[in-house]
Amino acid sequence: MNRRTLLSLLGSSPALLAGLPVEAQPGKTTPAKPSTSQPLVEGLNPKGTPPPIQLIPMAPRLDRLDGKTVWLVDTGFEGGGMLLEQVRLWFNRNMPTVNVVFRRKAGPYMEDDPALWKEIKEKGDAAIMAVGH
Amino acid sequence: MGIPTTPMVTRAFKELAVLNVAKRGMPELRITFTPHPVASKTPDQLRAYVEGNDPVSGKPMMKEIVQALTEPLSEEERKTGLVHVSVGPERYGPDTLKNLQQFYHDNGMTDFLPITIPTEEEVAEMLKGTSHPPDEVVGTMAGGAYPPWSYTVKQVAINAVMAGCKPEYFPVILAIASSGTPSLMSSTNSFAYAAVINGPIRDKLNMNYGIGALGPFAQSNAAMGRAWTLVSRNLANGGIPGDTYMGSQGNNLNYNNLIMAENEAASPWVPLHVQKGFKAEENVVSLFRGLGIVPGQGARGTSTDTPKYEEQFSDLFSVFTGFFGGLVVADPLIAANLKGRGYDTKDKLIDWLYKNTTQTVKDYKSRDFAYGFDYPRALKGLEPYKTWYAMPDDAVIPRWPHRDDINVIVLGGQTNAFFQGGSLSYTVSVSIDKWT
Repeated sequence: MNRRTLLSLLGSSPALLAGLPVEAQPGKTTPAKPSTSQPLVEGLNPKGTPPPIQLIPMAPRLDRLDGKTVWLVDTGFEGGGMLLEQVRLWFNRNMPTVNVVFRRKAGPYMEDDPALWKEIKEKGDAAIMAVGH
Repeated sequence: MGIPTTPMVTRAFKELAVLNVAKRGMPELRITFTPHPVASKTPDQLRAYVEGNDPVSGKPMMKEIVQALTEPLSEEERKTGLVHVSVGPERYGPDTLKNLQQFYHDNGMTDFLPITIPTEEEVAEMLKGTSHPPDEVVGTMAGGAYPPWSYTVKQVAINAVMAGCKPEYFPVILAIASSGTPSLMSSTNSFAYAAVINGPIRDKLNMNYGIGALGPFAQSNAAMGRAWTLVSRNLANGGIPGDTYMGSQGNNLNYNNLIMAENEAASPWVPLHVQKGFKAEENVVSLFRGLGIVPGQGARGTSTDTPKYEEQFSDLFSVFTGFFGGLVVADPLIAANLKGRGYDTKDKLIDWLYKNTTQTVKDYKSRDFAYGFDYPRALKGLEPYKTWYAMPDDAVIPRWPHRDDINVIVLGGQTNAFFQGGSLSYTVSVSIDKWT
């Protein structure tokens, strides 16, 4: 799937985001026209009601990473921590002026960790999250 | 978070990640993709990943990450506002039944088995199965890791028609839908779901809890289970491979789930819903989630004159990981035997299973779910995980963290003393009567 194509649908035809390809495929919004004399019926749409999407602006970017503190957050999927260790080592080798902090998010991977987000916002300049898997 | 943040995602989850950030309001979020998988890789292999290219964009991975945190935002990335999502027209057609049938299949609204086309007339008939108004909101359900969708009584009825339900089944479907529990889980595990039905409604609906209770031998068992899957698919947008469903191998039980009516009359023990705090005369559906169920025929001691079924249950559970709870599904012949040997309540059997189904700490810690779920709980100080992680590797601990992770139900036609064991966790019990 072309991401740009997908995301462009947000403003005009977000049906793809609702998992209903018919809206995103011109010509397939209704069944094929009947060619027989069989009785014709209408079928109801079985879909539920998706919530509207509140667009959230991204945080302003930094002008550079030199001298900044970047947090590496392991969400807890297997391998995520080891991958981030290699990211940390890459910064040490290639951008040694960047202060790198590693932290595993508290709780299982699907649980939120607002205390950590607060701490990162207070003490950090940017964050990289690795899901692993 | 309020500061520049960028996620790293393995490329197997590309579509999921792109759709997820879009559905959560950040459609332009800068994602860096890594090769897949990152688990079970050596440090040298992971270093090669980091020093290599993003397999999706083809750009150097670390350069992409640095740019994600430093490149000025575009107008699109600063966009705010509310986007309303369409799910298409209210109805399809008019067309022939055959064409409509194919249309529903082609657009991912079925389980690819024949459906009953949900005409206005069929749905009106289904709505007679409840006193609740068609526009009443039943609940919300999340398909995958996305914000949940909501649905009305009529929307549930449309799916019940498609599944082949009769109107008298409808309160059961509404009760399940009201729980907000989908039967199609987004996890890379291939989850199975089960619903245990208790109360007089089992006979009213001609449910099969006798010979072949878990097989395709009763319309009510079959259609109600199928309806749960269609509800999950259509009302919650679940079950889209690569988007809201990531089960690596899938699970055949997802076609119509495990619908189990307990054989209350033949059981020597109180039924499940009474154990969960309901009255015997109430109609209740209790839901379970896990990996599935397997028969226990041929277990140790089966052919002796003094079969110790509790040991056989324990043997069977030892092949499961313990990530999910244990569910014993015993034929009434087994339940009667156990009662005769002193297990006059389900609780006594559960006590025995909890104390005698064990594992070593070393085996426990080596399991992937322990790393992902229990170890973080141990770090938070939650028990028994904190204690278990402090114990030596050769220490022996229970298979399940809590006694109430084990449940027992009785069903079957008493043609033989057989049982099945499920890797299934109890989640919730819901009143069916509320939806009549």
